[in-house]
Amino acid sequence: MLATWKYRVRDTFIQRLDPRTRLIFLFSVIFGLTIPEIWDYRIIVPLFVLSLTLYFMARIEWKDVWRAWVFILVFVIVIVGVNGILSGRGGPDSVREIASPTLFEIPFYIPGTEWGFSVPITISKVWFGLVQMTRMLSMAILAIPIPYTMAPDVYGVSFRRMGASDKFSFAMDLAFRFLPTFSRDFATTVDAQRARGYEMEVLKGGIAAKLRRLAPLIIPVTMQATVTGEDVIDAMDLRAFDTNKRTWIKSVELKYAPRDYAMLGLGAAIFIGCCLLKWVFGIGAFFIPDFFTAFLGY
Amino acid sequence: MDDKKTWAFGTREVVYGAIGAALYGVFSWATNIFPLPAAGNITFRPAIAVLIFFGVAYGPWVGLLAGFIGNTLGDALSGWGFYWNWSLGNGLMGLVAGLAMPMINDFKARADIIKGVTWGLIGIAVGMLFASLTEMFVGGISFNTALVGYFTPAFIGNAIVTIILLPILMIAFAGVASRRGR
Repeated sequence: MLATWKYRVRDTFIQRLDPRTRLIFLFSVIFGLTIPEIWDYRIIVPLFVLSLTLYFMARIEWKDVWRAWVFILVFVIVIVGVNGILSGRGGPDSVREIASPTLFEIPFYIPGTEWGFSVPITISKVWFGLVQMTRMLSMAILAIPIPYTMAPDVYGVSFRRMGASDKFSFAMDLAFRFLPTFSRDFATTVDAQRARGYEMEVLKGGIAAKLRRLAPLIIPVTMQATVTGEDVIDAMDLRAFDTNKRTWIKSVELKYAPRDYAMLGLGAAIFIGCCLLKWVFGIGAFFIPDFFTAFLGY
Repeated sequence: MDDKKTWAFGTREVVYGAIGAALYGVFSWATNIFPLPAAGNITFRPAIAVLIFFGVAYGPWVGLLAGFIGNTLGDALSGWGFYWNWSLGNGLMGLVAGLAMPMINDFKARADIIKGVTWGLIGIAVGMLFASLTEMFVGGISFNTALVGYFTPAFIGNAIVTIILLPILMIAFAGVASRRGR
């Protein structure tokens, strides 16, 4: 059992981008959609298509990414989408205030009684649910490829070059380097406990008992790590860590190329464009397009 | 509360923040490989107890680093993506738990263990509330969904793990610390 990174070297446009560009672009889209509260499909759908295009350009193999997709889709469809369609909440008040025909009602009654209530499903709520899912996916699709396409050793330096402190960035770098070691320690501990008769797959008892029985796996690794920490601190102090500004070897590799400026420009255009459309031109609020109402036969 | 000691941010905090983050990442990933039984949509992540422990043992900065970086790392390892608000929520969880550090003198004393668990629970509430409520703006979910669909299951699952595993970690740490003499 080895913890392996999802990252693989692929000769793609996405991987040739500077990691900072990727992170800044992600934030541009997230803040562009959220700060001015964009709920207009005419803005959301193009952004969704753009996110999807960038996702496919990353050329991540399906066998690597399907679990992430299942996780995201369950959240987006079951928790967010269904809830949006049932309640119409989460977005602007106009979802519930717009006069909209009721498609059908979902009864929530105690069987055999008249105790309960019915939830009307309106065209407005259905459209809102679809828009909400598309909006959320537009952001998630940009976030999913990051672990697959960004080398683990550039996270720390990327945050440093984006303005984070040396200490924070070094901690991030150190954490990524410690991970394989602790993963190996954990695997060794699991093997050692199994040799003593510990059955990891058959954890018996209630929830408390099951959690308590994980202690023989968690405690040795954690305690060994705390001891290791003292040695690392000594080694770093001996090398005068934190006495002066650090230099970063990977820093020289982070250079903005013309493609980065193009992506950063696009990110800025998305963010500024969303703000201007909403606050200056009044475009971007929630509304139900006529074609959708007509499609449903109303 | 010794503010100077609590909010010190030097080599020690950087190293233990990184160690806490790496452990949090490994245990989060291991829970994905060997999922624990869950009730409803409540999942149990033993890694949370390790995060709270690092906050309680080494202070708020270590808790913040371990939570923020650890969650980023766990997501990177599992391949789920990068979700800044959940990483920051996890960081806040560790930071608030770390406020217990100056109040704890003996890691195996019952009163100090209760303090650790209490601050851990407050941390979980603050961190998960932050992450759930920011989902209202990021994901456009309703307040009810944020509270019932996100916060409540996350809080209950994490609280149970902390109540059960944190005391065991604290008692084990007391033994290690006394042997190391630090």
